[in-house]
Amino acid sequence: MGQGRFTGVGVGLRRPHLEQVAGREDHGVPFWETCPENVIGEGGRFHRMTRAILEREPILTHGLAMSVGGFDPWDEAYLQDLGEFILHSGTPWHSEHLCFTSVDGSCLHELLPIPFTREALRHTITRVRGLQSRLPVPLLLENITYYAELGNAEMDEADFVSAVLEGADVGWLLDVNNVYVNALNFGFDPKEWLSRMPLERVAQLHIAGHRKFGDLTIDTHGADVIDPVIDLMQWTLARLGRPVPVLLERDNHIPALDALLAERARLQRAYDAALALCEVRHA
Amino acid sequence: MHESRTLRLQRAMGALVLDGDEAAIEADPGRVARRHDLPGADQRAFRDQVLGMLTYRELARASLIEPLETMFPVLKALLEGTESWEPCVQAFLDARMVRSSQYRDIAAAFLGWLATSRWGLERWPFLLELAHAEILETLVARFPDSDPIEGLHPDPGPADFVVLDPATQVVTYTHAVHRACVEAPSPEPRPTHLLAFRDEAGLARLMELTAATAALLVRAQSQPLAEAAAALDIPDPAELTRLFQDLRREGAIAGFQATPPFTS
Repeated sequence: MGQGRFTGVGVGLRRPHLEQVAGREDHGVPFWETCPENVIGEGGRFHRMTRAILEREPILTHGLAMSVGGFDPWDEAYLQDLGEFILHSGTPWHSEHLCFTSVDGSCLHELLPIPFTREALRHTITRVRGLQSRLPVPLLLENITYYAELGNAEMDEADFVSAVLEGADVGWLLDVNNVYVNALNFGFDPKEWLSRMPLERVAQLHIAGHRKFGDLTIDTHGADVIDPVIDLMQWTLARLGRPVPVLLERDNHIPALDALLAERARLQRAYDAALALCEVRHA
Repeated sequence: MHESRTLRLQRAMGALVLDGDEAAIEADPGRVARRHDLPGADQRAFRDQVLGMLTYRELARASLIEPLETMFPVLKALLEGTESWEPCVQAFLDARMVRSSQYRDIAAAFLGWLATSRWGLERWPFLLELAHAEILETLVARFPDSDPIEGLHPDPGPADFVVLDPATQVVTYTHAVHRACVEAPSPEPRPTHLLAFRDEAGLARLMELTAATAALLVRAQSQPLAEAAAALDIPDPAELTRLFQDLRREGAIAGFQATPPFTS
């Protein structure tokens, strides 16, 4: 899966920063990630700024609401628009979440966990293959945070995610923060978990902040990335031994652009250090 | 036909998130699984993970309700005055009207549900107008961009038709809903005519129109300007012509043409 110009630490393009990003090219961000749902079918001032940025900058696309593991029929008209958007953007792949988001046509706007069962696994693999066949670029699936298993699990998350990726033969958008949050909530070792996974399928990483609420940690995308998650990113990069792009997500308590760029630069230093160590080991 | 266990589990999760009577999940966390004929092991999984299930209920409901609170602050203030906001939102969730995967469509789905269900209209006859007015500018601001309409001229002649910009809306309300605010959410009963359009910079603007101007703007889209003015008993349309020129410069009107817009 060619990644070409996509290396280093990119940033999720968000509305509060559009005007500033559109107006400057010295931001140092190697690439941006955009959510097609927020661009397709839009118009007006912010849309024009987004379009101007997308025309100028390297872009990856990341969907928010596709019900990958659900039962509702695909929205073929949207998928047609998505395909055109993807081709125009030049993204080498498109990512969606490994979850379901709608049931009986009702959209729930939350990333809900697919049951970790053999039946759900077969269904999800079929769905993912169907989705991939409708997209003009390779599909990546992102592992989500989950706060409960849906129904009586017949396997654990690692086995389920691995089996979907292998069975559908798609790439992996590995969210290291999600792994870390799940490890906190379900009491496992994130590095051990990752060691069981098909890391050769990883094409991109996501990284973000989270927050603890009582006994549960929630993937809020609303805080700076903490050191243990950066450590997990570096550990993963070292395991991969290749410069896959990392994307910083921030969706809540969005700071000023300069603060976000400083956060990105901190992550870039950690990214560079991890890869430099890889090179020393391989020299 | 056999209904898969996976689908029943997903339906149970959907009900747990959306249904009003699942608010008491802590008292009987296995109830939703029983309602969906799930086997004992699945019912146990719901019972054993109350905190996680509660979290999903809170997160998903927040995703669906926050855009309503953001987009309809005046309506919320009005209904909160009689403790009716939460029942209204719950009735909306019960109707399962959020069918679009695009987050921006949630507010429009709520407006559509208010229109079709007529919820609260007996008590608050202006409720639908108020909700519409609250998202009017957003609908206009985000209206999909399109290529400029070709073949239009900038100055209107008496035989011309008016061609509005595709994002422009001319609306008439029975109440002055655009004047309502969080502090005074009940609007004055007064016929109100508004023009909502997007300016050159792509930003939404709202303009109050006289009844005659609003009627002419609507009528002159399908009838030559002079005929439309005569039919509306507008004695001196010259002033309105100047207004229409201004509206073209500001972006509300795309231009003028000698044939009806929808037949050219």
